Amino acid sequence: MAEHHAAAVATHGGGGGHATVKTYINVAIVLAIITAVEVASLYIPGIPGPLLVISLLAMSAVKFFLVVGFFMHLRYDHPIMRALFVGPLIIAIVIILAVMALFSAFVLLPRVVL
Amino acid sequence: MANYAADHAPAHTVHDPNLGNTGLDNRKVGMWAFLGSDCMFFGSLIGTYLAYKGKSISGPLPHEVFDIPLTSYSAALLLASSLTMVLALAALQQNRVKIAARWLFVTAMLGLHFVLNQVYEFTSFVLHHGLTLSTSLFGSSFFVLTGFHGAHVTGGVIWLLILVMLAMRGKLDARDYTKVEIAGLYWHFVDIVWIAIFTVIYLIP
Repeated sequence: MAEHHAAAVATHGGGGGHATVKTYINVAIVLAIITAVEVASLYIPGIPGPLLVISLLAMSAVKFFLVVGFFMHLRYDHPIMRALFVGPLIIAIVIILAVMALFSAFVLLPRVVL
Repeated sequence: MANYAADHAPAHTVHDPNLGNTGLDNRKVGMWAFLGSDCMFFGSLIGTYLAYKGKSISGPLPHEVFDIPLTSYSAALLLASSLTMVLALAALQQNRVKIAARWLFVTAMLGLHFVLNQVYEFTSFVLHHGLTLSTSLFGSSFFVLTGFHGAHVTGGVIWLLILVMLAMRGKLDARDYTKVEIAGLYWHFVDIVWIAIFTVIYLIP
């Protein structure tokens, strides 16, 4: 009875199913590995600066979307929930780029010396 | 005629005050809307930090003060807490309230450990490096960004401990799944913000 009720509650008002415990643990292992690679890359000599920055940002993005997709269940959730989060996330990224542009702070772009 | 939708809706949607016209739980929709707005809040703080990066006219500089091993440990704590949070949710989904309460408690303790690490880091910056909120552009933008994140984590720890207390008093069961799920959404959000801060502030040279 309790299990039946719990199952009903779990799908109630959320718009979708959830990942299994096994999936959660697999995602956590992947997150741990990526974090270890991120930190280790700082101590590997000879990696060009732009390549290091791009690879760190890419690994961070993968971790970000793994947590949002699986732990926050957004990949299983209703499109309205996705829109409520992804829309402002895009605005936040635009804000970061705009503020950096205002202050000429793009570290990846080559500086023009006059 | 005007009440057609209400008359023909499934019984549970009529009696549940938390369900809106979309059929979605209002509390969950509200939390996602809040997290979206918080995204923009942290976006502006991260943008400001990056805009001021390298523009401080006095030290100390980031690479002189950052303790990457300690911060990596803190990042691992938050990632581990995200796992324990979803394990708590999974346990509650199966109505195993005691196990869910234990996972919630572990999550809160991992979060508390993160906060204490941050307190240690801030104290070290102030006492050993002379870096304060008003020392330089780096100091002000760093402390405001990471301080607000720490405040979010502290709020999350308090929220989780309240849920643990409710579970211990028998006031939390599978029917309260959405309450715990919403707390979990908030908790994972502070984790993803740290993922961004850890990379952008600490790791990128």
